[in-house]
Amino acid sequence: MTSDYVISVDGLVRAYGEKVAVDGVSFGVRKGEIFGFLGPNGAGKTTTIKVLTTLIPPTHGKVTVLSYDVTDEPLKVRRRIGVVQQQPSLEMFMTVEQNLDSSGFLWDISKEERKKRIRFLSELFGLGDCLKSKGPELSIGQRRRVQVARELMHDMDILFLDEPTLGLDPQMRRTLLDYVKKCASEGLTVFFTTHIMEEAEYLCDRAAVIDHGKILACDTVEKLRSRFGTGTIIEFTLAEKEVSLKSALMSVKGINAFSEPQEEDGSFKISADDPSGVLPELLHALFTRGLHVTSVNVKESSLEEAFLKLTSEREAKA
Amino acid sequence: MNSILKLLVRDIRGSFLMSPLFLASMLVSPLIYIFVLGFAFGGAIPSVVAGGISMSYILFLAPGIIVSQFLTGGVYAGASIWFDKRFGMFEQILVGPFTKTQYITSKILSVALQGLAMAFLVLLLTSPLLSGLSVSFLGILYIVAAWMFGSLLFGSLSIIISTAVKTDEVLNVVFNIIMPPLLFLSSVFYPLENVPALIRALALANPLTYAADMFRAGMLGLQTSYLSYEVLLLVVESVSMFLLAVKRFKGIKI
Repeated sequence: MTSDYVISVDGLVRAYGEKVAVDGVSFGVRKGEIFGFLGPNGAGKTTTIKVLTTLIPPTHGKVTVLSYDVTDEPLKVRRRIGVVQQQPSLEMFMTVEQNLDSSGFLWDISKEERKKRIRFLSELFGLGDCLKSKGPELSIGQRRRVQVARELMHDMDILFLDEPTLGLDPQMRRTLLDYVKKCASEGLTVFFTTHIMEEAEYLCDRAAVIDHGKILACDTVEKLRSRFGTGTIIEFTLAEKEVSLKSALMSVKGINAFSEPQEEDGSFKISADDPSGVLPELLHALFTRGLHVTSVNVKESSLEEAFLKLTSEREAKA
Repeated sequence: MNSILKLLVRDIRGSFLMSPLFLASMLVSPLIYIFVLGFAFGGAIPSVVAGGISMSYILFLAPGIIVSQFLTGGVYAGASIWFDKRFGMFEQILVGPFTKTQYITSKILSVALQGLAMAFLVLLLTSPLLSGLSVSFLGILYIVAAWMFGSLLFGSLSIIISTAVKTDEVLNVVFNIIMPPLLFLSSVFYPLENVPALIRALALANPLTYAADMFRAGMLGLQTSYLSYEVLLLVVESVSMFLLAVKRFKGIKI
């Protein structure tokens, strides 16, 4: 592991008795990076976060956060991180405002500054109308928003988000992801676990895919997509019916695969690594044969496809 | 601000906000004990002789009931850890800038302060009945020591139990089992001079007896012949119990 990592995990093993939840995991996270830790339920994501945030010690392996060993100097780690846990957490008998204020107080934020941050965060997360409401009066989504906002009351170097969008509506989900992006652009490092691939795709610079306690791949989101996804798909339809294009497309360079129209939508599908190079040639080939293109759609390979491929391969091997 | 102090403020704030009624309910039992038992038995027992001093039953009973607040208050330390667990705040605090020792110390301080406040209120409300109190400087030291070490002991005991149980329902059951013998097999309700030997032996092994005797020594100047041993035992037991609570809590599974 190089020294420019703010999170460095080398051969992490975490076992609960006989059961090994995390099995020899290694990765590093750079400063200012949004690092996605992706995996299906029970893959070992939360256990890894618990080790990184010093809640539980590793069984084996070396883990440092901000250059501090999580086993030897846990308090120094905790003083510089923020954690939104997967499980709901709330001071149930306090109002939303008191929840936020109490968190700021625990983190030594001055009274004046706490007031400012409460104003800002309650506006950002749409909590203005329920500032005086207590825990039992809040909906699940509101409680989740309070949980996230409360953790943003203090300053930190690394923010750990363990499936933070659970229970949030799409609008609030986007607000949170955008705010996290903004914070990362200002230097905050974010460790983000999710099993919702669109979120990871939207937010993360790099990601690791974990399943059954082992890392299956770790790279930039683009590289994960291109390495494990299906490549870029060019989808098009023609005005003419029942045309076979197999021979016509032989001359077009850069096509990886081609499929004849699907019955349901009548569209042709072409897989290519470089769609911008293939598309002009393709249109030219169709035009010279007197065919009329009615629609063209270029679809990037998704992280979800890569994720499913990786985890299903692992499943098949197991 | 000191980390323990910050956690203490959080805990007390949470306790008051949780339910002012809950805190008020903590006053009901001691007042019933003092007023009902004090007057009812006071009619049947014109005077109580303890440590060679004769006094009214209510005067004997009141300091014992007040000191039992440190037991009932102490129990709340373990219960409040389970409150934190239930609402997800336990792990949230432990990923914050605090150690486990700071966390449980704040819990014990919190119950100690709440116990003291309750004791003070009970004393205030029953003061018209308690003529004959004489508190010397040494007496104040006994009272403070009984409060400090009694709260430390029962708070730590409650934390140890809370780490040993798997659910808060079991915690309540355990408290319901151990509270009556702790309360009734002690010198809170009666002097130990004339009770059967077995009860006397059990009461003398009960730290609530030490705290009650120290409190009476402070408030009434009533000293048992073995008071210095009781002071020593309470200090040693409470510190040992606290160290055990810290050890147990550090090993708690999350």
